[in-house]
Amino acid sequence: MINLLTGIDSTAAALNAERIRMDVVSQNIANVNTTRGLDGKPYQRQQVIFDTVLRAQQAGNSAAQSVQIARIEADHRAPKMIYSPGHRDANPQGMVAMPNINIHEEMVDMIASSRTFEANLAVVKNARAMAMQTLSIGKR
Amino acid sequence: MKSAVIPRFLTVAYWLLNRAETVVMIDALFSQPNYLAAKKMLDVSTMRHEAIASNLSNLGTPNYKRVDVSRSFETQLSHAVASKESAQIAGIRPEIVVDANANAGRSDGNTVQLENELLKLNQNMIEHTLETQLVTGALLKLRLAITGRA
Repeated sequence: MINLLTGIDSTAAALNAERIRMDVVSQNIANVNTTRGLDGKPYQRQQVIFDTVLRAQQAGNSAAQSVQIARIEADHRAPKMIYSPGHRDANPQGMVAMPNINIHEEMVDMIASSRTFEANLAVVKNARAMAMQTLSIGKR
Repeated sequence: MKSAVIPRFLTVAYWLLNRAETVVMIDALFSQPNYLAAKKMLDVSTMRHEAIASNLSNLGTPNYKRVDVSRSFETQLSHAVASKESAQIAGIRPEIVVDANANAGRSDGNTVQLENELLKLNQNMIEHTLETQLVTGALLKLRLAITGRA
C-alpha cells in the first residue's frame, strides 16, 4: 500500500511503546503494597528501556528512526523496610520489606508518558492534514 | 462499425503523444523553475515531517540524536532558483541527517526538545499548506492558459 501518512510507522511504534510504558506504571502503582509476589519476595519496581530502530528505507540514506521497547527490567533498589510486627511477612525484628516503589516517581513517569503520547498524536493529526492538502492539489 | 473507430482514434492519440515534439512540449509545461522549486519544497516538507515524527517517537530514548533535513538544502535551493535552471533545481537531493547543532541539555544524552519539535511540526504544516497552494496556483494558471477559462 502506498504510504500517504509520512512517518506513520515511527509514530505508531511510539504510541505502542508509550502505552506499554503506561501499563508498566499502572502495574507498579497497583503493586505498591505487595509484600509477597509469586516468588515469595516483595514486588520489585519494573521499568521500560527504550531503544531506537533504524527503519528499513525504501529510498535514500535517511536517518529517520523508529522506537521500540528494548526490555522491561526490574529496578534493583533495596526494598523499603517499615516496622509492622503484626504483619504476616514481618521478619523476627518486626520489619516488613515493602516494594521499592516511590509513588511520586511513578506519577511523574505517568505524566511524561501521557505527554509523549499526546505529542505523537499531534504528529498523526498533522500528517493527516498534510495528506488531505496534498490530495487537494490542483483543485480550486 | 463503432468499435473500429475508437481504436483508430486511440492510435492517432498514441502517435501524437509519442512524437518527440509532443513529449518536449508536455515536459516544457511542467519545467518552469518556480513550479519545480515549489514541488521540491513540498517534497522537503514531507521529508521534514518524517524527521519530526522520528524525533517525537524517540522522545524518551536515551542517547537518541535528533534528525532533520540537511541544512545545505536551503542554500542549494536558493542558488538553484537564482540560476533559473530547471535541471539544477530538479537535481537537488535533500536528505535526512543527524542534527549536529542540537543540544537539549538533557542528562540522558537525548537531544530532542518536546516544545521545539511541536513548534517545528506546526511550522512545517503551514509551510506545506503554502507549498500546496503554490503548486495548485501554477497548475491553475496553466489550465487557464490552455482553456481560457479560470
